[in-house]
Amino acid sequence: MGSRAEILAKLKANKPEALPLPQIDSSIFDEGLNLIEEFTKKVEVVGGNVYQATSADDVVKQITKMLPDTKVNFSTLEGTSAFNTIDLSTINDPRELEDLDILILESDLAVAENGAVWVNDQSLPIRVLPFITKHLVLVLSKEHILPYMHQAYEKLNHQPTDFGVFISGPSKTADIEQSLVIGAHGALSLTVFLLD
Amino acid sequence: MSHPKLASIFNKDEKKVDWHDKALWFVRHKRDKSVHSVKNWEELRNLGQGIKAHMLSNLDIYLEEFEANANKNGVEVHWAANAEEHNQIVHNILKENNAKKVVKSKSMLTEECHLNPHLEADGIEVIDTDLGERIVQLAKEPPSHIVLPAIHKNKHEVDELFQEHLGTEPCDGNPQYLTHEARKHLRQKFIEADAAITGVNFAIAETGGFVVCTNEGNADMGAHLAPVHIACMGVEKIIPKLEHLSVFLRLLGRSATGQPITTYSSHFKKPANGKKMHIVIVDNGRSEQLSRPDFRASLRCIRCGACMNTCPIYRRSGGHSYDATVPGPIGSILSPGKDLKKHSTLPFASTLCGSCSDVCPVKIDIHAQLYKWRQIITKETPQPFVKKKSMQIMGSVFTKPKQFETVGKIARWSLRNLPQSVINSKPNVWGKERDLPKGPKQSFDQWYNERQKNKNNS
Repeated sequence: MGSRAEILAKLKANKPEALPLPQIDSSIFDEGLNLIEEFTKKVEVVGGNVYQATSADDVVKQITKMLPDTKVNFSTLEGTSAFNTIDLSTINDPRELEDLDILILESDLAVAENGAVWVNDQSLPIRVLPFITKHLVLVLSKEHILPYMHQAYEKLNHQPTDFGVFISGPSKTADIEQSLVIGAHGALSLTVFLLD
Repeated sequence: MSHPKLASIFNKDEKKVDWHDKALWFVRHKRDKSVHSVKNWEELRNLGQGIKAHMLSNLDIYLEEFEANANKNGVEVHWAANAEEHNQIVHNILKENNAKKVVKSKSMLTEECHLNPHLEADGIEVIDTDLGERIVQLAKEPPSHIVLPAIHKNKHEVDELFQEHLGTEPCDGNPQYLTHEARKHLRQKFIEADAAITGVNFAIAETGGFVVCTNEGNADMGAHLAPVHIACMGVEKIIPKLEHLSVFLRLLGRSATGQPITTYSSHFKKPANGKKMHIVIVDNGRSEQLSRPDFRASLRCIRCGACMNTCPIYRRSGGHSYDATVPGPIGSILSPGKDLKKHSTLPFASTLCGSCSDVCPVKIDIHAQLYKWRQIITKETPQPFVKKKSMQIMGSVFTKPKQFETVGKIARWSLRNLPQSVINSKPNVWGKERDLPKGPKQSFDQWYNERQKNKNNS
């Protein structure tokens, strides 16, 4: 518990008079974006790639062509279990995923203004998966792209999650002389497939 | 040491200063480009300011709501009045879990509390995992910028550090190679870690969850692999509702680096099966800052670093010259509240140009607060004799127009006629490290009167 009561009492005594909470009117930010175009542009700006696909099978086919000869693959897409080289139910410790080459995940929410794709516990059997994999593939239906973060949180308000993450591009750093390097601690590459 | 003294040390390497200045200005430029493409950016800033100001005026209530919801989520919440208590709480959690190896992602709060030395004294290994922070940790230095911790180091220095500590090959400072080697080195640390410590960017009262933003993915690698996750936050990190994240995540990345959003915005709420999650809520002087009407707005800060990137003083004096956990303009209004004497030169490390306030995503009146701290400092801390005397003399001259005119005439003549060696001599602090302009023949007054006369004649 520590100094709980003392801290709260001080904050209560020292805070200013109550100020009103502003309401967010998301319509004032609306520029009438072309959602697919803007989303694609932004994913590319942050270092990812966007492709079209017709089905889950098509995604697997395209990605095996792009990244051939990988050893450890895992997909959560329905009907693609032939792609998987590991069985998550035998993984006792997330650290065993260290050698994961390709991870394919589904998402039902993405944001056009910043190219961010939402991934949460429901589609994520083990939380470290999208971070520890070398190559991350996210699959998304076009209709699930929303224009701004405001619309995204309107949707998330109705989908409470224990853990979720917006991912915008592959991991990166510019900590050495401001030179951008793709591939810091998380995924080295990010590929997004859009389904009709 | 005072800011001017430390700044003059940084300024010895002119080439480096030029690089530092340009590199940060480039980040400011990227911020502008990104911000200008957002429709109604100013309204977004107003929302950011308004939500934070509302939060501060109800802070105790939102903290209690946050705690109750976090408890419901199975997260243990701890409260620390000061840095020492914070360090003890973290230390105790680590001991309870028999944790000897800890990975840490960026957290200015744990820097503020000097957590690392506290834990290391008990034989606990603490590894900073953000690349920039790892670089300064290896160099045994504090971060010099809150978003770009190693901005003061060039690639050759990093090359040497890595050769010495990570056993890398000499690479002429190749950032690609060095980053890749750091990834391999830190991957091992993530795998071995018994516990992960992260900061908190936003804590949501309504859900009891919190958000951590990184570009490297280091917070997630640590938190999801280690069995214990400890998140440390200042009391002011609270926001009321989940939907408010839409405002702050739009503001943060763009203001910090010009990115439309950080690569990872991770929303933690409940611990994963079989894992433990702790939150440490820290005051450490914040409740006192809340009591100061002139300075409480500084608690709205979301730590984007935009004020540093734009500041002409910061860019040319370097983060270490501030000798404070948070450097730059925002640090200069936060630090005097903690130790007025130690940080008494910081509010003077500014031209009061106001650029910091212009770029601040939550509209903190930074330059106005710098000015207000100066008023307090000149009253409460001893000032150098020369400065005190010259201010008195100037104050008197400014009230007497005739005297002012004479002094002006002498000054203009001197600037035109005295040799460089006298103009840039030691007693003239204005001539230190800078060329002074040639003194004009006319004063403004003379020029104006002449102009009026010519106007009337024509």
